[in-house]
Amino acid sequence: MHQTPDPYRDIPLYPLVNPRSIAFFGASNRFSAMGTNQLNSVLSLGFKGKIYPVHPSEATVLGLPAYKSVADLPETPDLAVLVLPTAIVVQTLEECGRKGIRHAIVVSGGFKEMGPEGAVLEQELVAVARRYGIRFLGPNCLGVVNPHHLFNVTFAVFEGRPGFIGLASQSGSLLTQMFRYLEQFRIGFSAGLSVGNEATVDIVDCMEYLAACPHTKVIGLYIESIRRGRAFIEAARRIVPHKPIVAFYAGGSEAGRNAALSHTGSLAGPDRLYDGVFRQSGIVRADTLTELFDFCWVLGRCVPPQSRRMVVLTHSGGPGAAAADACSRNGLSLPRLNGTTREKLRPLVPSTGSLNNPVDLTFSKDPLEYFSAIPKVILEDPDTDGMLVYCFAPPKNMQRIMESQGLSLEDIDKLTEAVAEEIAKRSSGLAATLSKPVIGFTYQSSEMPIIRKLLENGLPVLPSPERGARAMAALARYRELAGKIGNQAG
Amino acid sequence: MHPLIRSALGKGDPALSEYNSKLLLRAYGIPATRETLVQSPGEAAAAAEALGYPVVVKACSPRLMHKSEAGAVAVGIQNEADLLKAYDRISAAVAQPLEGMLIQEMVRGSRELVVGLTRDAQFGPCVMLGLGGVLTEVLNDTAFRVAPFDTVEALDMMGELRSHAILDNFRGQAPADRNLLAETLTAVGRMALENEAIAEIDINPLIIDAQGRLTAVDALIVLRG
Repeated sequence: MHQTPDPYRDIPLYPLVNPRSIAFFGASNRFSAMGTNQLNSVLSLGFKGKIYPVHPSEATVLGLPAYKSVADLPETPDLAVLVLPTAIVVQTLEECGRKGIRHAIVVSGGFKEMGPEGAVLEQELVAVARRYGIRFLGPNCLGVVNPHHLFNVTFAVFEGRPGFIGLASQSGSLLTQMFRYLEQFRIGFSAGLSVGNEATVDIVDCMEYLAACPHTKVIGLYIESIRRGRAFIEAARRIVPHKPIVAFYAGGSEAGRNAALSHTGSLAGPDRLYDGVFRQSGIVRADTLTELFDFCWVLGRCVPPQSRRMVVLTHSGGPGAAAADACSRNGLSLPRLNGTTREKLRPLVPSTGSLNNPVDLTFSKDPLEYFSAIPKVILEDPDTDGMLVYCFAPPKNMQRIMESQGLSLEDIDKLTEAVAEEIAKRSSGLAATLSKPVIGFTYQSSEMPIIRKLLENGLPVLPSPERGARAMAALARYRELAGKIGNQAG
Repeated sequence: MHPLIRSALGKGDPALSEYNSKLLLRAYGIPATRETLVQSPGEAAAAAEALGYPVVVKACSPRLMHKSEAGAVAVGIQNEADLLKAYDRISAAVAQPLEGMLIQEMVRGSRELVVGLTRDAQFGPCVMLGLGGVLTEVLNDTAFRVAPFDTVEALDMMGELRSHAILDNFRGQAPADRNLLAETLTAVGRMALENEAIAEIDINPLIIDAQGRLTAVDALIVLRG
């Protein structure tokens, strides 16, 4: 045990997300069982701690020695995971309490979400937890993922990388289904928690944990209903000046509200009220689920702009104009570049191009300049707060030029990769040194060599001009909200 | 708890009358119409004289929540003869016992806001600012904050209205007194926090006059039984 106070490790939820040892209930050797799947998720990510499956009849579970009862375990594990039939959950948690276990994840459903009888059962579960001082996530949740700790106790095998998005979700499946989705953009979760019925750990507790978590650069919330309203606002206002929070609220429309009712058995507030609550909390509200992850992506990757004056850089008219249009719809301005900047750009832009805003090259002579020298001039302009850059680099064209110069196929592949790498390095280095946000947008697949390299080097490249502009506006909004809260604290 | 509320609860009233609602608003620094509660035509005439014509006449009762529909309001009264006619007409139209008749200054302004309060199960008292007037429901242009909050938050709330431009120089009229509006919004939240018995508040309309001054022209404070 550590001795000195540590604001991260001392958070009550720390052992729940970073356990050193786990007692696992509900896994067997039957692969159709949910518990088996979840234990398999733990094993396949290569969890480094001890795992103690507890099973009434099996001698081994997925190759691990199994124990008849939690009382038989050779140590007191940090965490118990319960994926059991509803009827034996309360009694099992009690046995865990007697063993001295103080943290649990109760995956099992059949509680408050099932109506009054389930609610009574949930009260019994909470009473047991109180008696033994247990904090548990759930019931009716899908668990936790912490790729930095090689810990994934969700239903889905983890496919992705350790990342910077900390997600607390009132939808469990949402968490698991985003592994692959984020990976295509070369980003990932720092930690994800499915809160389920929030019996003893709610979304506010998760926010406090994620605020302290050093891997988490941005907190994402999927919300159907906030239970501790005032505590939520106060926690968010403490966190936001240091770490951005993005929230998607499902429950705003009447249809959404019905879904929320049947889903977690809680009442949802009206949409306009939540608008006010989020603004008051300094939280950037995402209007769609797609935006929740778009906004987390750019807030984790970019410095927020000082103000809302943007430049669009493109070598293609349509997408550039679309980005400019989306900027103005989202409250971003596209001022005319000043004379000095235009003079500096002139030699870099073909005579057919435009030095207005969007800066339109019409044809990119040199992709290296497009991603380095030109953005540098634009971003050095003191009247520019950030840049949106259109990313379209067809590798076939580049390769044809190389072919014409007599390069072998193998050399062409290597050179393409090297050029992509060089472009990506220069572009990401640039954004970092000038401390202004750069967001790319494209219609190309994230698997195209240059796009992939840009993503790997940390440039967010969003899949359309509109999404790029909305994400830039979210960055600006974060800065404004954090500024407002800063003024109030002072 | 404010004595006005204690007294109303003691009588089993479902709400404060308009007159008492505005007394409470003024106690919290919220500007409201100048008005006098009278018990006779003679008192009405004296009150109107003191306020200066034109005036508004309203029946006043904690049980009268929709005055216009009940025929309990007369606006734009220009002289004593019309005042006495209105007094008689309203007395006849409203059957229930009244606290009295309210003689009120006539406030003019083309910009109307609504300020309200509801209690949310999760968030507690929530203050609403909205665009007032006949299109309130159609436009549904509102912003909410959870009490307590400060004036910085209240100013931010104004910016959230789609029609926030009406608070600026608007068709030759002076900008609204935003600081006073901010104080009003925070005060409404404070009223609810300090008085658990308040269930809802409606200040509708809150008129912005050509000089940018704010006045609560009608107010209703609903109590929890």
